[in-house]
Amino acid sequence: MPLNRTALWYKDAIIYQVHVRTFHDSNGDGIGDFQGLNGKLDYLQELGIDAIWLMPFFPSPLRDDGYDIADYNAVHPTYGTLDDFRKFLESAHERGIRVIIELVSNHTSDQHPWFQESRSSRDNPRRDWYVWSDTDTRYNGARIIFLDTEKSNWAWDPISKSFYWHRFFSHQPDLNYDNPAVREQMWEVMKFWLEMGVDAFRLDAVPYLVEREGTNCENLPETHEVLKELRRRLDESFPGRMLLAEANQWPADLRPYFGDGDEFHMAFHFPLMPRMFMGLKLEDRKPITEILHQTPEIPSSCQWSLFLRNHDELTLEMVTDVERDYMYDSYAESKMMRLNLGIRRRLAPLLANDRRRIELMNGMLMSLPGTPIIYYGDEIGMGDNINLGDRNGVRTPMQWSGETNGGFSTAPPERLYAPIIQDPVYGYQAVNVLRQKASEHSLINWMRTITGVRKSTGVFGRGSIEFLYPANHRILAFIRQLGNEAVLVVNNLSSSAQAVELDLRRYKGNILIEMFGKNIFPRVGDLPYLLTMGPYQFYWFRLRRI
Amino acid sequence: MAEESFLTDDFLRQLMNVGEVDILVGLPTHNNAKTVGSIVHTIQTGILRGFPRARAVIINADGGSRDGTPELVTGVSIDDARPASNLYALRTLHSISTKYANSSQPSNKVAFRTILAAAELLRAKACVVMSPESANVEPEWLSKLLGPIYHDDFDLVTPTYSRHKFEGLLITNLLYPMTRALYGVRIRETYSPEFGFSGRLGTQFLGQNIWTDATNGTGVELRFTLAAITGKFRICQSFLGEKIQIERRSADLVPALRQTVGALFSALEPDFPVWSVVAGSEPTLTNEADHGVLLEPLRINRKRLREMFSTGVAELESVFQSILSPATLAELQQIARLRDEDFRYPTELWVRTVYEFAASYQKSVISRDHIIQALAPLFRGKALTFLTENRNASAEEIENNIEGLCREFERLKPYLLQIWKSSE
Repeated sequence: MPLNRTALWYKDAIIYQVHVRTFHDSNGDGIGDFQGLNGKLDYLQELGIDAIWLMPFFPSPLRDDGYDIADYNAVHPTYGTLDDFRKFLESAHERGIRVIIELVSNHTSDQHPWFQESRSSRDNPRRDWYVWSDTDTRYNGARIIFLDTEKSNWAWDPISKSFYWHRFFSHQPDLNYDNPAVREQMWEVMKFWLEMGVDAFRLDAVPYLVEREGTNCENLPETHEVLKELRRRLDESFPGRMLLAEANQWPADLRPYFGDGDEFHMAFHFPLMPRMFMGLKLEDRKPITEILHQTPEIPSSCQWSLFLRNHDELTLEMVTDVERDYMYDSYAESKMMRLNLGIRRRLAPLLANDRRRIELMNGMLMSLPGTPIIYYGDEIGMGDNINLGDRNGVRTPMQWSGETNGGFSTAPPERLYAPIIQDPVYGYQAVNVLRQKASEHSLINWMRTITGVRKSTGVFGRGSIEFLYPANHRILAFIRQLGNEAVLVVNNLSSSAQAVELDLRRYKGNILIEMFGKNIFPRVGDLPYLLTMGPYQFYWFRLRRI
Repeated sequence: MAEESFLTDDFLRQLMNVGEVDILVGLPTHNNAKTVGSIVHTIQTGILRGFPRARAVIINADGGSRDGTPELVTGVSIDDARPASNLYALRTLHSISTKYANSSQPSNKVAFRTILAAAELLRAKACVVMSPESANVEPEWLSKLLGPIYHDDFDLVTPTYSRHKFEGLLITNLLYPMTRALYGVRIRETYSPEFGFSGRLGTQFLGQNIWTDATNGTGVELRFTLAAITGKFRICQSFLGEKIQIERRSADLVPALRQTVGALFSALEPDFPVWSVVAGSEPTLTNEADHGVLLEPLRINRKRLREMFSTGVAELESVFQSILSPATLAELQQIARLRDEDFRYPTELWVRTVYEFAASYQKSVISRDHIIQALAPLFRGKALTFLTENRNASAEEIENNIEGLCREFERLKPYLLQIWKSSE
């Protein structure tokens, strides 16, 4: 299958997020690798995804799961070689699957040669590649992000006897983007991978690139200048490639990252995700409609990126204190489930392994405006292990079968990079790909169906959205429209059956065609359109005037 | 279960959209446009402050307002107050309205029945009725009236207020002492426009056979309190602070007597098996202060009260002959002849008067409504005595006097039982 050659391919895509380490181990060392991932591309193609987003696979001391890069232009030896990556990339493209890789641009590992040089002496040519200070009081308007582990954004370097700036872990010194050499070097890194054929970058932690006294050091105009310059060079040399921003910010603060269509192509909609969980728990559409109402328009070439879960904690930074407390009480009754300002759990456990709720949340993910991202394992309802530290509980080996190690690796179990899930509910013998593929009504087969239905129309990726506000607040209903094509989406957020009357007078005369079963529903007339819905049920209707 | 014809289809549709709730706020209205907007806003604020996670609805039962009251109720948005109050609603906060009558005559009974029916259909856990005529409703009232139900499993929360020492004389001189003596429970405000109740109490009361009985229709709030007592539901009181009515209706004594004393007298007959075996009384758990007394000077037309008492005793002699014992009537006629400065309605005589009225009401010696009307001039005499005796009294002295009256009601309860049984 050839690649979708349209320039806006990312608007129609379904993205699958995976860490190469977690997916499949081809050489029996207990760690997933590119050859293993390559061997599972058919599975991903069958799932119906269009792009793979790979978490960092570069050489790294792995103190932050690879987000502490020690060499930008190589592959961590445990995952394979550059040749292995090239083969994987080629195989993915042959299947019509694009590849998105990480560009951890804000910081490096303290083991990176650049930092080692920088700290070696105050006169080193790379001294200014990082942010140094004789005091730890500069930029004190900047918040500390990893509250559970860090007390300051400055760390003392005993070698050069000065402080260095870090927004994340202290072993991740921030690069100094005021230095033109750093900006040039980062473009060289991008070029290296783009020339190899990589389709897109997810830029990590973009709000923090530049620091200025008297500010909170987030979202600064100088940061946008850096990003716009990268985008300009990307478009000039590699048209059709894409940049995805990771900026955990409020929608209004995110908007500038799209610029006039000249900065990022896509950005994660962080505030929406917790509100989807909140709306489900509250059985009330209000949190969802409210945040989408606050979401500004973005340039037509741009796109929001939506997700239910990812490799990090379910972040609660972009919610109010009232909402955060509610989320903790609702989804993380045990303190062990909480990390920083978030909840470190996977989708299925968050939803009490309730198939109806899992389907509803995926239904919303696939139908709200944006490009959906599926986190590896969530398509089969994998569980988590909150006994593992940090966010490792949601980064356990993929469960392929009921064999030893869940079919992930032939290594002795104790050599796996992380223990595979083994509990009775979510363990690999109960939840695995092989078993689900054999069952017609399994979650994975349902996921394949919904990806297929989403891709049957461009309306979900590119269409406008208009919310209907039926008096029943448990119902989230909206119309997606692209040209003459219109789709009505109705979600019952409640655990009980609901009746809802929809004002569809604008569509009078249309018949409704349910998109999964393709059955015809009554024609829209003058009266409110009455639907009855089962618990957590959702409908996608194509509106057709025949 | 609500009757099909009782709730309109439109109201049912609105209830269907609201779905199950944790908290229901009932707001009976009739031409309250001047105040209802701010009261709804206060209610919303109270819900968000006290119960931010609860599923809540405001149910407006309107008696046919022509001043746009229902539209004001449904039009108030909590978002109007958010910038100032820093409040945030997790959920949709519903306000729905229904008109239960097209006439200009509001009916507390129909309004309350509507609210109870809504509470049952929505499976509300904790409910509160708020008055649109209280000028100083505070958001904290919601927590105080709902909290004991929502958090502590009480079934009825009646308010206590800081009142002026001469305000609420009907309560302090008749309703409180009489219900306390008869039912054995010390509830200060047995009928209040604001009170909280549990869904189970609401359902139990909704199922009682009082809604179609015209003679029992008035004083539904008091009947509700008595139903909670006789049903052995868990009751407590919450102190709300000072209460200010939007307007005083000092001339409306007879309707007030109908609503309160009439309701109490009506309840005595079916409740006889309960109250006839009660001796003494028990205090009711009260959150914060038991009540408060304000002592500012107040202008009262004592001469007018005196005239109305004496005129009433003279003009209604034939009516009183049917209601009262000869001895009681003779004593009344005797005090009616006293000089103004010597006038005093003795406590024992007042208690006997009330008890004889209650027994006569049960016997229906004359029209029950006439019996209630005949009590009005006598109550004015008692009120005048209370005003005179407590003109310079401190809060503590007043409370002691009320306590003394209550004990007198309790002491003379056997007399009521005696005349009640003799009538049987």
